Parts: sequence; C-alpha cells; structure tokens
Amino acid sequence: MDQSPKRFVGAIILALLCIMSAHGIYAADKGSETPKPVEKSAVIPQKVFNAKTTTLLNGMQVVVVENNRTPVVTHMVWYKVGAADETPGVSGIAHFMEHLMFKGSAGLAPGDFSKKIRSLGGNDNAFTSHDYTAYFQSVGAEHLETVMRMEAGRMRGMNPPPDQVLSERKVILEERSQRTDNNPEAKFPESLSAALFVNHPYGKPVIGWEHEMAALTWEDAKSFYDRWYGPNNAILVVSGDVKSEDVFELAQKIYGPLESVPLPKRKRTVTPPLAGRQTVIYHDPAVREPQFQRVYRVPSYRQNAADSLALQVFEDIAGNGPTSRLYKSLVIDKKLATNAGLSYSVNAFDDAELSLYLTPAPGKNMKQIEDALDAEIMQMIDKGLTEAELSESLKRLQAEAIYARDSLSGPAMTIGYSLATGSMLDDVEFWPQNIAKVTAAQIQGVVSKYLDTKNPQSHYVNGYMLPAEKENSAKAQTPPKPKTENAP
Amino acid sequence: MMIVSPALLMRFLIVSLALIAISTPAIARENVLDIQEVTSPKGIKAWLVEDHSIPVISIEISFTGAGALTDPKSKQGLSRMLSNMLDEGAGDLSSQAFQKELRDQSISLSFSSSRDTFNGSLKTLKTNKDRALELLKLSLTKPRFDAEPLSRMRAANESRIRSSVSDPEWIAARIMNDQAFSGHAYAMNTGGTLSTLKTITSADLKKSMQENFSLENLKIGVCGDITETELQKLLDDVFGALPAKRKTQTKTDDITLQNQGSIALYKKEIPQTIIEIMQPGLDKNHPDYHGAQVMNQILGASGFGSRLTDEIREKRGLTYGIYSYLFNLEHSDTLAVSTSTGNENVQEMLGLIRTEWDKMKQAPPSTQELTDAKTYMIGALPLSLTSTDKIASLLASLQSDGLPIDYLENRNTAIRSATPDDILRISKTLLNADQFTTVLVGAPQNVTPTITVEKLPNVE
Repeated sequence: MDQSPKRFVGAIILALLCIMSAHGIYAADKGSETPKPVEKSAVIPQKVFNAKTTTLLNGMQVVVVENNRTPVVTHMVWYKVGAADETPGVSGIAHFMEHLMFKGSAGLAPGDFSKKIRSLGGNDNAFTSHDYTAYFQSVGAEHLETVMRMEAGRMRGMNPPPDQVLSERKVILEERSQRTDNNPEAKFPESLSAALFVNHPYGKPVIGWEHEMAALTWEDAKSFYDRWYGPNNAILVVSGDVKSEDVFELAQKIYGPLESVPLPKRKRTVTPPLAGRQTVIYHDPAVREPQFQRVYRVPSYRQNAADSLALQVFEDIAGNGPTSRLYKSLVIDKKLATNAGLSYSVNAFDDAELSLYLTPAPGKNMKQIEDALDAEIMQMIDKGLTEAELSESLKRLQAEAIYARDSLSGPAMTIGYSLATGSMLDDVEFWPQNIAKVTAAQIQGVVSKYLDTKNPQSHYVNGYMLPAEKENSAKAQTPPKPKTENAP
Repeated sequence: MMIVSPALLMRFLIVSLALIAISTPAIARENVLDIQEVTSPKGIKAWLVEDHSIPVISIEISFTGAGALTDPKSKQGLSRMLSNMLDEGAGDLSSQAFQKELRDQSISLSFSSSRDTFNGSLKTLKTNKDRALELLKLSLTKPRFDAEPLSRMRAANESRIRSSVSDPEWIAARIMNDQAFSGHAYAMNTGGTLSTLKTITSADLKKSMQENFSLENLKIGVCGDITETELQKLLDDVFGALPAKRKTQTKTDDITLQNQGSIALYKKEIPQTIIEIMQPGLDKNHPDYHGAQVMNQILGASGFGSRLTDEIREKRGLTYGIYSYLFNLEHSDTLAVSTSTGNENVQEMLGLIRTEWDKMKQAPPSTQELTDAKTYMIGALPLSLTSTDKIASLLASLQSDGLPIDYLENRNTAIRSATPDDILRISKTLLNADQFTTVLVGAPQNVTPTITVEKLPNVE
C-alpha cells in the first residue's frame, strides 16, 4: 500500500487494470496488472530470466524459470483466450468460466480445488483479461506434481453441478457491483474503453455488461470451454525451486496424455476509422474530484514491436513519476493539476490502449487541462527529447530487469502474459537489448504518429468525470451506455 | 511503483491484514529464514537475512510509537505529510534533484505512516548502494520541507480525500474508525482531513521528526546482497546521527472496542452495501493468540475453504468476498469481518454471520478442518517471503511488535499443538456476536440501524 501522493497518479487507471481482490483475482483489460510489459535486464548475463522451454507433442508450451532461493514453486496455466474472444451477447462468459473452474472437475467436488491447495499449505487463484485466462498455485516445491495433476484434471474435465452454476452467477454479479458499479471512478474508464474500441471486443468490460451477465447459462460456459480449453491453447509456466528437465518430464507425464482440440482462429473485429472526435462527459453526484482522462488506440507489441518499444520509453519519460515531463510541467510548474500520468498497456493481442490522466487542481477547468496537455504533446513532437532524457530513461529501464528477478511469481506473470498475447520468449529475454536501441527520433516519430490530436490518423477519446450538474442533475447521471451488439 | 486506488485501499488493507494473519505463523522447513541479529560498533541493532542470489538490497525501518497516533487532533495527517515530505528534498538537493537521483539510479525510497509506526523502505541495486544509503540518511537527518513540495503534497492529499469520498469502502473505513475507537487517537484519519491538512507547516514536520525519531524506537530489517560486516558499518553511517533517546511522549491509553452492539448506517445510493464488523479480539502476547489465529483460519481468514466463504459465497452466492481477521494495533485488539452484498441481502447476510459465530462456539472443528488450517498456516509462510523487500519488511515488523528472533519457530510449535478442544474453548470465550460494532454503507433493505451517520467523520 502506497501512501505517497506522488505515486497516486493513475489511481483510476489501475483501479481498472490492477484488480487483485483475494478471490478470483481478476486482471481486467489487456494485461497491465504488473508493472511492465516485458521485463528488463542489462548488467546480468544476457537473458532476463534465462527461462527454458519446450513444447509437448499435444501442442502445450512449457516454460520454466529456475529460482532456488526458497523451496517453493509457482505453477501457472495460461489459456490463450479471454473476454475479447467471446461471441457477442454473452459478455463476461470468459470470466464466468474462470469462476466455474473452481466449482467441480474430475475427482474434485465444488470448492475442493482451493481447499485441497490450502491443505497443502499453498495458495491458488485465477484471473481473466481480454486476451487470456490464467490459473495459478503457489506451493512447496514438493507438491508440484499434485497441483499439476489437479490443473490437468480440469483442463478437459470441468463439470459443475447446475445449482452451483446459478449461485456462482450471483457471485459474479456481486463482483461487478463491488468492482465497478459502486464507484464512479470505476465506471468512468469502462465508458471510455467502450467509446474507444468501437466494433472491437476490447470495448466491453472483461467482467461483462450486467444485463448479459445476468443471463449467462451453463450452456454458454460449456460451449466456450469446449471451444477454447485444451493443451494446444495453453501455456504452462513454472517458476521456483525446480530443475527444468524435471518439470519437462513431469509435464509430459501429466499434461502429455491430454489430446489436443480443434481450435478456432482467434478472429477479432476491427475498429473502423470514425468521423469526428468523441468526448465522454460523465456527471455523477458521487463525484467530488473531477478527473480528466484521454485514451488513445496505439499499437501493441505484437502488432508493431519497434513502435511499441518507442512508446514504452516515451511512457517512462513522459509519465512515470514525479520527475516525468507531464508531472513536472502540469503539476509542478503550471500548477494546473494535482496529479498527472500516463499508462500504456503493451501486452494486447490487438490494439493497445494508452491513457493520459490528470486531476485538475481546484479552480482549473477541463479546457485548461486539455490545452496544456496538448501543448506538452506538441512540444515533444516539435522539439523531441534530449539525449540526456533518453539515456537516463534507458538506464532506468535496464535496471528493472534485475528487480524483476527479485520475485517468485513475477517472472511467471511476465512470461505468461507476453506469450499469451503473441510475444515470443526471446522478446521477453532480450527486452533490455531491444529497448536499448530505441532512439530519440523514433520516440518523436511515434508521438507524432499516434498522439497528435491534429493528426486525423490518431484515434482517441477524451473523458471528463465531473460532479452532478447543478440543474437537471438526476437526468445527467447515467453515463452513455454503449451498445455491445457490434456485429462480428 | 505500485499504485493503489482509493477505491481499492480498503480491500487492500483487508487483504494485507489477512496476509499478516497467515504469515506470522511459522516456517515449515529449516533455514527458510536464517535471521541474524547484527550489532554495529555504536550499538545499533538490525535483523539481517543474507541472500546473494540477486544484486539487490532491501532495507525496512520502523520508528515504533511514531505513527499517526502521535498526530494532534487538529493536525490529523501530520505523520502522513511527513512521510510524503522526507523524500522531497534534503541537504543540498531540492525536491526535483532528490527525486531525479532516486530515479536515475533506480533507487526506490519511500516512507509511510501507519497508526502505530512510521516506516521507511529502501530498495537498491548493490552497485548503487552507497548513494542510496546517503539519500536515506539525508532524508532522515536533513529534510528540507521546502514550501513548493509542501503545498504540492498538501494539494495531492486533499485531492486524494475528495476523490476517495466517492468510494464506499473508504467511507466505511472512516466510519468504523470513528465508531470503534471513539474518543481515542485511533479514531482520527491517518491521511488527514481537508481542514487539518491546511494547518500543517514545515515547523510541524520538523517538530514531529525531532520528537519521534530516535535510536531508541528504531527497528531495522535488512535482506539481500549484503554481509554482516557491510551492514555493521552502514548502520553507524546512516543512523548514527539520530538522537539516542526519544523525547518524552504522552502515554497513549489502550482502548476497548466502542459502540458494541450498534449498527451504524451511512446511506448511499449504490447497488451494494459495504459491511464492516468488529468485535473485541486478543492481544498478541495472550497465551491463546495462536490458537485464536487457527480458529480464525477455519472461520474466515483464507477466503476459499473458510466457513464464512463456504456458507455465504460458495453455497448462496451472496458476496464476492468475505474475510475475518484478527486486527492488532498497539493499543487495541479486535476481530473484524469485511464483506459486501446486494442491498436486498444485507439482513440475511448479518444473520448468516451470527450463525457461523454460533456454530463455532457450539462444536469443535473437525479433525480435517483443523489439520488443513494448521498445514496452511505453516506452509503459506515461505510463499510470502519470496522477495527481499517482503523479508525486510517482516523483519522490521517482528521487531516493532516486540517479538523474539525465534518467534516464527515458536509460533509454528504453538499452531501445531492446538487441539479441537482448544479451538472450542477459545471460540467460546472470544466470539460474541452481541459485541459486534457494525458499519453499513449503501442502501440496505430491512435493516434498522441504531446510528444514522449523516456527516462523514474526520473528512472535512
């Protein structure tokens, strides 16, 4: 828990992205739940994690990160399917599926999966994003085989009793209330994404729209499960006190016998060019502190590695912390905002979202904020950045690789969401070398190409979150609810 | 850089408390944590766990009794502001220069203030260790408290408060503090109020530091790529200039849970009601404390597998999460429950919690339940000790709580020895639903509050 207001920047963004409640952890949205996309090294040998990998005959990829500091292990299975792969009308089914995986499977009664893990002295949970669904257990290293058998058992053997399906549907509706509907600061980014990703499934929330969630059935879940859950759509990542050859052997023994399934193509609808600029204006009587947010659609790493790397350095220079450009200019020098920051969700299968967020200082209006922000962007486009800014940033990013290894589950997370969104293991391992090649001109180029609001090719939505309007406030409270029935 | 939104603060608090509850137990295997007590030439002590596998060092410091409970009521948020200001310029370095040094050298240095303790966390690459320690020393001995960052930090804190007002979990926490600790320093808002923050000056910050920072109440935990000899030297270098003794402090009284048997409601038009409950708990030094932790593990600590989760979430789908936890402060010991449910279910939910209380008091847990709880509590500890900062933090908090260096082992033994009859006996003496102090935020149906809260306490 961080109490520093300096690090308070981005609270809203992370409320959306980094949702880690102790039940059914659920990382909404394109996988920015941990700090950085791909982790970083420099001083250390060559590769960040020195992970070992193999692929079983049934198509399941296995990745192992050895870490012998304590006799524990994190075992994760990542399915390359998420909320963006749902068919229209059943939003939330990917996440509901994730919950149902705990409600009974081969040899385990409802609820027994987690109980069994607890009885081994371990923790388990799962999370869903637009692009992936992951299940994990952390246990003493001697229990690896046991948890592997349990996870393999529910890869093709999920089978919850009907009454459990209904009660769990109530749970996800409560989850939606708790995460989103209780708080305008959570509803706001939901509306922004819906406006940004027109005709693309990233526009709907991972947890689903309430009215569609309320109608989800076992048949919906089963058909999703049958279509997407199988060894050839899964990545096993094991991190901890193990030897890679032993894990490969164990995986072959336990996951190897599972038959691969016919997989549909991951086909997503595309956001077309739209006429005009959109602004979401959201008044709510529960809001006391206004917020400005602008969300851009930009390339993800999978779509354009070079531009994505440049955007990552830009993110660090422009929006990361109290010495970043935006904070320095808008909070310290111009005193227009009390907070300013930027976040770029690199690991998306399709387009990534880049968000700028500002809390106006008392007495400042949205127009002033927006103009000042645009001036900062134009400054980057016209003047570029200094060599010192760049080299300092690159040095910082390199150092993060060492910190990335000071964790048990961190490396497994990074590798998991990178591979599940189309990166290769080498993209992770050689991230420091790749990021070191980014030039000032490249950064200037991507800012100009994607973030210039005068550039008709840039795609963004402005958002104002405001207190209730003085008059007619009852009518103005509901944010524009976007439609979800976009034709595929 | 982890950012916790105001919307999530309460949940995070709950989760981290639950983690403390399960992680204070013991080590299942030998040598999971090999703690050395290191003493410097000047006599400054630290607990150290060496780990040379990665070139990273984490240091966690705590000044005991120096947290928000030392804030004057009219200056609520003082220790929080101090924690925000210590890394905003020191010695010759302005706020921006100080922050730039941290950033350029990838040093993570931050301060925080809890109710009881004032804490600092440093994490650095070994190669930048010397500069990192200089910056830590500067921040503790020569902070500048310049006007510009002071007003900026104040503005950010005010903004945080205005933003949090839309978060029902934050609101529930404000009201619970006010109800449970009525009349005590713990009732105050550690983050300050909109009016008290305005009164805090650099002179207040200086005074707070001078009164509260000393070697006498300093606890240090260190983990990472550092040897005992290196640590001895740095202890004197970094902390040697602090005063040996703390200035006399006004004594804080213990407080028993207030407003027992009451239900306080803050009405808010949201789909769900946030429910917070507290009842009296047990001191960490009480002979039944470990047994109570085992009991609570079965009752509601672990989420999945606990009785509360089984009955209320798994069987009935009434909530996304329900947790119980022993909540120990220096001057107060309580047992708390946190959950939320649709407005139409609140009455049922409150009844179900009471039922679980009764069941726990009527019969001992099954052998299976007890065994599972023990195995979990013992086995889960190493899972929470997988990074240098987590370990350093545990080392500092064990010392802040005045626990011995072999505490983890002792606790392990105590957990193993708990019998079903112990759990029943502890449940009978500890659990009492008539002593519930309850706070509801939302629009609950069919519930009659005994207290209606109109104005948020310690916010304006």
